[in-house]
Amino acid sequence: MHPPTKFSLLDAEGQEKQFPPDGPVLLALVKEDCDTCNLTLPLLEAVHRATDDGLDVWVAVQKTDDIPVLKERHDLTMPLLDDDALDLSYETDIDTVPTLFLYDEQQNCTLQTFGFDKHEWREIASESMELAGRSDADTAIDWESLPEQRPGCGARNYEPGVYERLQAIKSGDLLSRLVDLASSDDIHEFMYDQGYTDGFPVVPPTRERVWKMLQGTPRDPQDEVAIVPPNLAPITIEKIAINAVMAGARPEYMPAIISLVEIACTESFNIHGVLATTMGATPVGIFNGPIRDRIGMNYLHGALGSGNRANAAIGRALRLCARNVGGSLPGGTDRATQGGPHRLTMNFAENEDASPWESLAVEYGFEPTDDIATLMAMSGGPATVADERSRDARGMAGTLAASMSCMQDPKSPMVDTLVVLSPDHAGIFGRSGWSKNDVRECIMEETAIPLKDRLRSADAGCGLPPSVVERFGGEAALDRPVPKFADKSNIILVVAGSAAAKFSTILGGWATGVYSTATSASIGPNGAMSFRSIGGSVMDKRQSGGRDLGAFEPRLQEPAAESGEE
Amino acid sequence: MVTQILDPTDERVPIKRSLTPRPEALHGTIALLDISKPRGDVFLNRLEELLHERAPGIETRRFMKPTVAKPAPQPIKDEILEECDFVIEALAD
Repeated sequence: MHPPTKFSLLDAEGQEKQFPPDGPVLLALVKEDCDTCNLTLPLLEAVHRATDDGLDVWVAVQKTDDIPVLKERHDLTMPLLDDDALDLSYETDIDTVPTLFLYDEQQNCTLQTFGFDKHEWREIASESMELAGRSDADTAIDWESLPEQRPGCGARNYEPGVYERLQAIKSGDLLSRLVDLASSDDIHEFMYDQGYTDGFPVVPPTRERVWKMLQGTPRDPQDEVAIVPPNLAPITIEKIAINAVMAGARPEYMPAIISLVEIACTESFNIHGVLATTMGATPVGIFNGPIRDRIGMNYLHGALGSGNRANAAIGRALRLCARNVGGSLPGGTDRATQGGPHRLTMNFAENEDASPWESLAVEYGFEPTDDIATLMAMSGGPATVADERSRDARGMAGTLAASMSCMQDPKSPMVDTLVVLSPDHAGIFGRSGWSKNDVRECIMEETAIPLKDRLRSADAGCGLPPSVVERFGGEAALDRPVPKFADKSNIILVVAGSAAAKFSTILGGWATGVYSTATSASIGPNGAMSFRSIGGSVMDKRQSGGRDLGAFEPRLQEPAAESGEE
Repeated sequence: MVTQILDPTDERVPIKRSLTPRPEALHGTIALLDISKPRGDVFLNRLEELLHERAPGIETRRFMKPTVAKPAPQPIKDEILEECDFVIEALAD
């Protein structure tokens, strides 16, 4: 607590009282529903009467309505000041009432105490009489009848909800524009009208809630985290916290949300393109490491779906940041032809214990004990692969390949895919001793079809133009297999869900390395660190340029086709 | 009750409020609110004549703000809201 040096409050009659007054003063802060305050108010009144004009006794009451109550209950004549706004309580940072400060005539605080300690109160009463020049007089306090000690009560400025409100308003941490609502405004309708939401209701970002959200990270609220496209607007920790509140996040999600925002805004991930593409791509977050359990993410039943706050709110917060700060609006720069429900939020954790393999994060060079976020742009899906019959790895990989072969369209090659294996499907590979690489190679082989079947035809207009045949060496190449995916490393394998049944999920990517490179980073309290593009090397945070795969060329080259023939 | 929220946007555009959908036809009671600008009554008198002439069957009620310098007092706004179907505010000098 800090003795105040200057303040101004209204007294019970509505008159402004400027502190400090001339001469010595005894200042107390109290509240009505505190037994110790009620025990000590008659003592303060006795000091007030005994010191007469030699010393001011001012009592600040923490609630306006309590002033007349206390005045009548204890027959008080000393000035009772109204600290209902808790300005004085906040400035002095008292956590207990009653709290006393005794000032001499030079306005130096010479004694202070809180609660009731008879020895200290006697000393303060005696010193007050001394300062008032009444050391020979008696305060008429029957000290013998009083207890030795009584603890004080919690000050109102530290009550739950009140403390956060005071911090939010007075700490100076929050600099965003305050939006005033009229008494007739329905907050939820208003927020829809402003375009703040993704179509679902949002939690109103009051200053109290935003301040609490900011406690989830040690970073300065005004730190600029990234430049968010398409408006190229700087996003601060405060703006992330506001959108995190709206998304329904808890403060402990903040490091994960900050990290996703940072990853999304790297040049390699290219959130601008992801959200602008007419394909309707969206960022999908995958989490590895202890953070999954620490913040209660779901990697079991329904991991890719609804029902878990962390999964839902973290992904939604990223989308709301892109919408509200970046300005990505459907029909504006968001040109998704149809989009999909996964564009609201898609974010899950890997079920590392159920995986026969190292986790996604470990695969990309992180430690199992690191908290890792990976962001991938997915243009389609999620689509279910239902295979309750396969018992061996070859059959299971074949099912996956057959399901993937029609991804986007049955003829066109594409770059990448995300395969979210259920524990039961992953277990088949584990029991067969298949590595991730084995699965990938089998999928590459099984999805490869002759070049002639990838060409446009009269009965299916999708596929490659006939002009590519010449580049492959003419008609002789027509029977050469061309794989579906650009490279086996672009088949991303993770495990999620419960051991309920044999259903997995495949999602079409958005050309990793060409359009949007899947990017991972470790999550620290301050946000993302040590970025890595998938299949790439460690990148500097500010120079996370995408891995160049040479646009779509590699997947059409002969070596890829030959590998399919082996 | 929530009275203030923090702006979640990059704050490049002002806060906007949606307009009530434009009605198909005039009906019921039309409030004519004089904001106490000089000659506001002249304007509203003429408007009232035209309204009765062109939209027979409607009723009009006159209201006046006590001063041009401040927003309309809440009781006036409440009365218009509760008892009228439309409001026309005369801003002219």
